Amino acid sequence: MHSPIRLATTLSAFIAAIGLFAQGPGELHGNFSTDAQLYQDDPQIGAAKPPSDFGLNAWSNLNYRSGNFLAGVRFESYEPALLGYPAGSPYKGTGLGFRYATYSVNDLEVTVGNFYEQFGQGLAFRSYEERALGVDNAMDGVRLKFNPDTGIYLKAFVGRQRLAFDDGTVKGDGIVRGIDGEISLTEAFPHLFPKWTENGHNLTLGGSFVSKYQADLDPLLELPENVGTWAARANYTTAKWNIYSEYAYKINDPNGSNNNIYKPGQALMANATYSVRGLGISAGAHTYDNMVYQSDRGAPSLFDLNINYLPTLAKEHTYNLPATLYPYATQPNGEVAYQGEIFYMIKKGSKLGGKYGTKLTLNWSGAWSLDSTAIPNDTVHYLGYTTKFFSMGERQYFSDFNAEIRHKFSADWEVAVTYMNLVYDIATIQGHPGLPVVYANIYILDGIHNFNDKTSLHFELQQLTTKQDQGSWVTGLAELTFSPHWFVAALDQYNYGGSVETEQIHYPIANFGYIRGGSRFTFGYGRQRAGIFCVGGVCRVVPAANGLTASITTTF
Amino acid sequence: MRILLSSFLALALLSGCDIIDMPKGEQSGPVGPGSGTTRRVLIEDCTGHLCPNCPQAAEIAEQLKDVYGDRLVIVAVHMSTTFAAPQAPIGDGIYDDDFRTAAGNQYESMFQVDGLPKGLIDRTPYSNLIPIPRLSWSSAVAQLIDQPANIDLWIDSLSYNSGTNTVTATVNAAILNAIPGPQNLTIYLTESHIIGWQEDNRLPAGQQNIPDYEFNHVLRGALNNPLGETFIPADAQVGDTLVNTFSYVLPANVLVPNNCSLVAYVYNTDAGPEQYQVQEAAERKFVP
Repeated sequence: MHSPIRLATTLSAFIAAIGLFAQGPGELHGNFSTDAQLYQDDPQIGAAKPPSDFGLNAWSNLNYRSGNFLAGVRFESYEPALLGYPAGSPYKGTGLGFRYATYSVNDLEVTVGNFYEQFGQGLAFRSYEERALGVDNAMDGVRLKFNPDTGIYLKAFVGRQRLAFDDGTVKGDGIVRGIDGEISLTEAFPHLFPKWTENGHNLTLGGSFVSKYQADLDPLLELPENVGTWAARANYTTAKWNIYSEYAYKINDPNGSNNNIYKPGQALMANATYSVRGLGISAGAHTYDNMVYQSDRGAPSLFDLNINYLPTLAKEHTYNLPATLYPYATQPNGEVAYQGEIFYMIKKGSKLGGKYGTKLTLNWSGAWSLDSTAIPNDTVHYLGYTTKFFSMGERQYFSDFNAEIRHKFSADWEVAVTYMNLVYDIATIQGHPGLPVVYANIYILDGIHNFNDKTSLHFELQQLTTKQDQGSWVTGLAELTFSPHWFVAALDQYNYGGSVETEQIHYPIANFGYIRGGSRFTFGYGRQRAGIFCVGGVCRVVPAANGLTASITTTF
Repeated sequence: MRILLSSFLALALLSGCDIIDMPKGEQSGPVGPGSGTTRRVLIEDCTGHLCPNCPQAAEIAEQLKDVYGDRLVIVAVHMSTTFAAPQAPIGDGIYDDDFRTAAGNQYESMFQVDGLPKGLIDRTPYSNLIPIPRLSWSSAVAQLIDQPANIDLWIDSLSYNSGTNTVTATVNAAILNAIPGPQNLTIYLTESHIIGWQEDNRLPAGQQNIPDYEFNHVLRGALNNPLGETFIPADAQVGDTLVNTFSYVLPANVLVPNNCSLVAYVYNTDAGPEQYQVQEAAERKFVP
């Protein structure tokens, strides 16, 4: 725990370290952001005021750079944390959440303290912060990066991960070690690939190995204390194509989320995009099998101490209804998923394109369970189940077909129309056993009207129709901007299809904000519906809330 | 450079993988304590008859009991409306039992037990959690059980009067090492060999509702108080011995007194990170 004295001592040591290592005058930059809410009871939506009445999350980064030296700290406050925040283990109190120092010399970069890092797309290792979710698995240890020659990149690290916050970072038990190498062929060997070099083609190959250590105390089972994962990746790029694939294999890793089975895990992902002027096509596929990889096998939740990251193929919608009601969460213990998207721009000046052109987007994604068979009486090897590689099971978790037409009618008017069709296994994705699969259609009208150079109106009308879960919804949004300083917005989400009148509830929110330079102030009042909030296939539960909100961000 | 890279890779590969073919080797008998007096650990198995993973959790607790013997004390605390409430229609004999207690209900909210099964292992955090998932119980117990005991606790002169339906006993505590703060004493009454309905998702579909499941170590009530009573003061010194003699009428939900046990434990009452942590537990059956 960090007392104020200890915090001040740490800060003094940090400043002293800067003075010791910095070469000449440097630059200090920083930023600050806070989200606060004053709560009130609202029995109609199930919102209960916490004992403190008030919640506040705040972060402030200070970064100092001088020549090849870089150092920084992040202060964090959760006094107390906002309801439902963070996604995993609790954050409370005030203290240092991140501190680091980095020095670069002769193509070698050394970082001590906290760092974020990623190998490839993250199937074997990704340390990152997603503040909106409250996911932060920052490493605390040592990291080396070395470029021995042009086009060759090496990384290695050892450390422990952030688990929680209690007047300072609380770290998990496990130690994580990793190495990664990447070679860019046309950079490293231009003379061996003259055509590629000339035409702007490239092939990048990479490989990594990550291992965690956690002592085995278990008297009932022999648990692996060192669990390794290796991964390989390739990325081929041209002016029009980008083809990427990554494979990861994890050895036996019994843990709380896979019911202590000893089956190895594996993951394969492949994405391809093709883009030329006015046309973009992308396709992706992946399979994840038993790929939860955490530095503590008894981690409190799936949000905590993740070593790797499993990207989703579901489109991340920003519209209120699809984003807050039925977003998809990656199923790390087993899924097969596909995605395809076509973007086409109808030329300006054509009949359909009009003066400004028309943008068409078609997107589809789907996810299924693995085709797996449980092993009966599995009391010797504890493998749990067998599965065919990249083979879909019968249970469909999710599908999302969506189409959008966006057209700018004039300098003052732009309108987009979107249709979505969702299939959503709410029992699996949101963990509500017994609930039926949700089949929903969503219709959205999105418009922008510029009254003049300074004043514009953004509006959205959304309707979601379904016979399952809570029935149908509509959302209306209006956002008026008075550039360059002010904006005001109102949103109402209405569950008009609730099965009984008491469920037919309005969730109105009103906001206004002021922007000046690098600072932004936002204040709001209204209801927050209980649900889930997702970023990148990772979702946290959001409790119902009612009250006054305030957000401030600033940089210097 | 090549040597540097090769060394790095070899080091990583050699140190990184423990591949285990047969996770469960031969189990040994009860593990005795090391030198000195070690802790007797209390595992409060938060459970419910409609919790499909709870039979597996109960088995894990029993397997740990096989390993540690008397050094582990199990109490099954039935809780939660979702998992432990009697099911309508009441009177049809199917999931009619209500094993919940006032104490269990209080612990459910006090320790924020969310989802079953969970275990309170000496009410001490493991992986930053106090209600611990069943697959971590064995490691959480192992983390504590070989630690030196600060207090030796034992129950003697236990007697049951069937005429008055009263149990009388004495709990003794000897201070072995400095204690972290004042301690309350809580006395549980538990009952075993109760037959009733239980859901178990390890069985094939259609057979997962077991009509004759045997419930053991079922908490019937906290005889003195769910939060216990003042027992060891903060200024107790090493070498001090404290005694608490009591008589209680058995709770009305007890079916067979001969299947009952007394469980006594002492826990920290001082506010702070160690509040509620159990220092020592003891168990004594009515009929040995």
